[in-house]
Amino acid sequence: MHASIGKPEVALSASAAQKALIAFQRFGLGAKPGGPDRIGADPKGALGAEVQRTGIAKISDSTLPSYAKACEVSTYDGPTINEMLIQEIDARVDKQMSPEIGFVERLVLFWSNHFAMNNEKGSAVRGTLAQWERDVVRRHVLGRFSDMLLGTYAHPAMIAYLDNEESTGLHSARGLKKGIGNNHNLARELLELHTLGSAGGYTETDVDVLANILTGWSYVRGAESDNGTNGGTPTNRGQFIFRLDWHEPGSFNLMGKTYAAGGMEQLQKVLLDLAAHPSTAEHIAFKLVRHFITDQPTPELVDPIKQKYLKTNGDLKAVSLALLDLPGVWTAPLVKLRTPYEHIIAQYRALGRRYADGSTAQLVGPLAAVSNRLWEPDSPEGYSDETYTWLNPDAMRVRIDITRYVTNQILPRTTLNVPALASSIFSSALSPETRNALNSTSNSNNALVVLFNSPEFQRR
Amino acid sequence: MTERQGNSAEDARLMQAACEGCAESRLLLSRRAVLGVTAGLFSWACMPRFAHGAGSTDPRLLIVVLRGGMDGLNVCVPFGDTNYAPMRGSIAIPAASTIKLNSFFGLHPTLINFGNLYKAGDAAVVHAASIPLRSRSHFDAQDNLENGMGNVIAPTATGWLNRLLMALPAGDPVRMAGGIQIGEAPLIMRGPAPVLGWSATKYLSVLDPTLSQVRAVQARDAEMYDALQRGLAANQLAAPLEQDDGEISTLRKSFRGAGRLFAADGGPRIAVISANQFDTHANQGGTRGVLADLLSDLDKGIGDFKLNVGSAWSRTAIVLATEFGRNVRINGGKGTDHGVGTVALLAGGAVQGGKVICDWPGLAPSQLFEGDDLKPTIDLRAVFKGVLRDHLGVSATTLGTSVFPGSTGVSPLANLIKTSAPDAASSAPSIVSVRPSSAIGNYRRTSSTAN
Repeated sequence: MHASIGKPEVALSASAAQKALIAFQRFGLGAKPGGPDRIGADPKGALGAEVQRTGIAKISDSTLPSYAKACEVSTYDGPTINEMLIQEIDARVDKQMSPEIGFVERLVLFWSNHFAMNNEKGSAVRGTLAQWERDVVRRHVLGRFSDMLLGTYAHPAMIAYLDNEESTGLHSARGLKKGIGNNHNLARELLELHTLGSAGGYTETDVDVLANILTGWSYVRGAESDNGTNGGTPTNRGQFIFRLDWHEPGSFNLMGKTYAAGGMEQLQKVLLDLAAHPSTAEHIAFKLVRHFITDQPTPELVDPIKQKYLKTNGDLKAVSLALLDLPGVWTAPLVKLRTPYEHIIAQYRALGRRYADGSTAQLVGPLAAVSNRLWEPDSPEGYSDETYTWLNPDAMRVRIDITRYVTNQILPRTTLNVPALASSIFSSALSPETRNALNSTSNSNNALVVLFNSPEFQRR
Repeated sequence: MTERQGNSAEDARLMQAACEGCAESRLLLSRRAVLGVTAGLFSWACMPRFAHGAGSTDPRLLIVVLRGGMDGLNVCVPFGDTNYAPMRGSIAIPAASTIKLNSFFGLHPTLINFGNLYKAGDAAVVHAASIPLRSRSHFDAQDNLENGMGNVIAPTATGWLNRLLMALPAGDPVRMAGGIQIGEAPLIMRGPAPVLGWSATKYLSVLDPTLSQVRAVQARDAEMYDALQRGLAANQLAAPLEQDDGEISTLRKSFRGAGRLFAADGGPRIAVISANQFDTHANQGGTRGVLADLLSDLDKGIGDFKLNVGSAWSRTAIVLATEFGRNVRINGGKGTDHGVGTVALLAGGAVQGGKVICDWPGLAPSQLFEGDDLKPTIDLRAVFKGVLRDHLGVSATTLGTSVFPGSTGVSPLANLIKTSAPDAASSAPSIVSVRPSSAIGNYRRTSSTAN
C-alpha cells in the first residue's frame, strides 16, 4: 500500500476498525475524534458498558422544567413555551454529544419515536413533549416497557396528541347529561402502534371497548383551573387527570378477558396485559431489528429479541443488549442511512461543537428542508425507519447543501486538518476513496462537506 | 374487464422494458422498497412510450396548500356586502382599490396576475368554502384538508392525492407519470403510491469542485450514488442554470420548478406546493402589509409557473386551498383570528374561469357561523371532486369511496373545467384503504406463510 500524503498513523487493524465502525454507526451516534482507538479493543464490551453506566440516560439539569411546570406552561400558548422548547433542544443535543458511542441515546430516539407525537398538534403537546421524553422515555429506556407505557398514557402529551381529553362514556354521568361519546383515536393507536401491532390479534370491537376503557383519561385545561371546574385547581393546571364521572361504567371484555367495573385501574390492568402480550413482544422486536439492522427483518433476527422480551417481562436493558448478540450484526454491511437528524448530531460529535447558544434555528431549519422536523413527525407512526424515505434523490442532493450550511455556521473559514479528523473518527475503516478526496481538497470547509457526505459517514 | 387486462399487459411491458435496459426504470422497479415512497424524479424517464395513449389530453394538476388559514375575505373582497367594511375596520380593502371581478367582489390589489387570468377566462374563485371538519386547530384542519376525510379527526389517514394515484387504473397516464411533492413532504401525498420529489430550499447549492468530490466518494455506494445523480438531474430540469435567482423566494422557485416539470414531455402530471405563513393574527395590513406581501409573492409565483409551463398551460388546472378562513371582525391586534369559510382559487388554461362561484351567506351578524365567521356554503371536497372528475376523468365512485371516503353525498362542483375529460376509470377499482397495511402486518403475513 502507498502511504498517502498527510495520512496519520493508524493504530487499529482493519478488522478491529470495522467492528468499531459498526459500534459507532449501527448502534451509536457516530465517533468523536479518537473514538475508534478508545473502544477498538472491545467495541461490544464498550456498548455494554455504556448501557450499564449509572444515570447514562438521564439529563441532569435542574433548570429544565418539572412535570408540573411544563404542564402549567403548556396551558398558555405564548412565548414561554418557545423559550422552554429551545432550552429542551439544547439539553437534548448536549446530552447526545456527550457519550462515547451513544447507544443509549439511539434507544431514546427509538422509544421517543415509538410513541411519536407532534408539537404542532397544539400547546398541550408542545409544552410537555420534551418533558415527557426526559421523564418518561429516559427514565424507563433501560427499565420496563410496561412502565414507559403506563407513564405515557398518564401524560397530557399523548392524551392531547390523540384526542382523548374529551372522550366520554355514553353512559357516564357526563355522557348521559350531554349525549357525547368516546373517541377511538388513542385506543386504535394503543393497539396498532404502541403495543400489539397490526394483525396482532385484536378486532374492531376491541378498539371500541378499549376506547370506552380510556374514557375519562384527560388533562386539566387552563380554563378548568381558572374556574375550578371538572376537578381543575390552581395547582394541577395542564396535568393528567382521571375523570370518573366521564368514564364509561361497567365491566369490559377485551380480547377475551374480563376487566371488572371500576375506574382508572381498569386501563392500568389492560396496559400491563398488553405489555406482556406475545404480539407486543414481536412488534417491538421487529421494530428494534428494523431500526438497528435491516429494513427487512427476518424471524432469525426478530425471534431472539422477542424471546428475550418475553423471558425478562419486557426488561428493555436486557432486550437492548440482546441486539448485540444477534447473528451477523458485527459483520453484516451497514445498509441503512442516518436520518437527517442523526446525520447532523454525528457532525456535531465529530467536530465537538454544536450551533451557538440561542441558535437552534441552525438545527431545526435544515431538518425542515429534508422533511425531518424535530419533534414533528408526519403521523403517530413516527419518523420513517425505512431507508428509502431518507435515501431518495432529492433528499441526498439537499443533504449536501445543508451539510455545508451546518458546518459553516459552526466553523466559518476553518483551517481544521480534515484528513486527520477523518482518520481519527474512522481509523483504518476510512475508505481510500474518501481519504484521497480529502487529501486533494485544500479548503477545510469544503473538505468537511466531502467527509460528512461520504458513505462511511452516512451509512449505519 | 378488458381495460384491466390491458393495464396488466402494460405493466408487464414496462417491467420487461425495465429489465432490458432503461436504467432509470430498472432502478425504480428492481427494488420493492423504492416503490414504497420516493421513487426519484427520473423514474418516468422511459415511460412516455407506454403512458400516453392516443387521444389522451395529458392533463396537469397543481395543488397549492396555503398553510396558516388564509383570510378569504381580504383575498376576494365582498365589497358589495354592506357589513364588510365596518366589520373589517382598518384592514378593510376599499372597493376602489380592488381588482373588480363583478359588482360585488374584487380581488386584493396585489393579485395582478390572477386578476388578468380571471379576465382572460383562465381563473375562478370559489367563495364561502370550507373543509368538512369544524376545527380551529391548524394541525387538525390541515390534516383534514389533506387526508380528504369527512368531519372527523383521523391521525393516521393517508393523503387524498396519494389515494387518487392508487385508485387510478395501473396504466393511467397520470398515475404512470406520477405525482411530485415540491418542498417538504406534505400529508396530501403520503401513502403507498410512489411519489416523486424535488425541493427548492433557501440553502445555497454546493457546486463543483466540491460537488464532484462528493460524487466521487459516493461512487463506491451504488444506491447512494444513483440517488444523488438522479437528484442532481432532477434539479437541473426543475431549476434554471443561471445563478441570478438569489432574490426570489423559495415559493416562487417552487412554482417555477413545477412549471418546468409540467412542461417536460415525460414529467409528472400532479404536483403539490405548500405556501406558508397565512396565520395573520396581528397587523395583517390592508392593501399593503403582511398579507399583501404574502399574496403578492403567491401571485408572482403563479406568473412564474405560467411562464415556465409554456404551452402545457392550456392543459393545466391549479387549485389553491387553505385549512380555514378567519374571523369576519378585525381583532385587537389589527389582525384576524381563526375562522371558517374562505376562498378556494382556481387558475390554469383548463379552468372555466371568469366567475366567482358562491352561495353567498352574508356578513350580517345573524348570518355568521357561530356569530364570528363566514358561514361555509360549499364543501371544499366538492371543488376538488369537480376538478378531478372533469379534468382528470376520475369516476364518481372512485371519488366518493377512495379519494374522499364517505363523500358520495357531496356532489362534484360542475363547470370548473372548460372541456370535460372522458371518464377514465370505467372499471370500478377496488376501494383504496385510508390506512395501508403496516410493516409489522406484512411481516406477520409473510413469516406465517413461510412457516
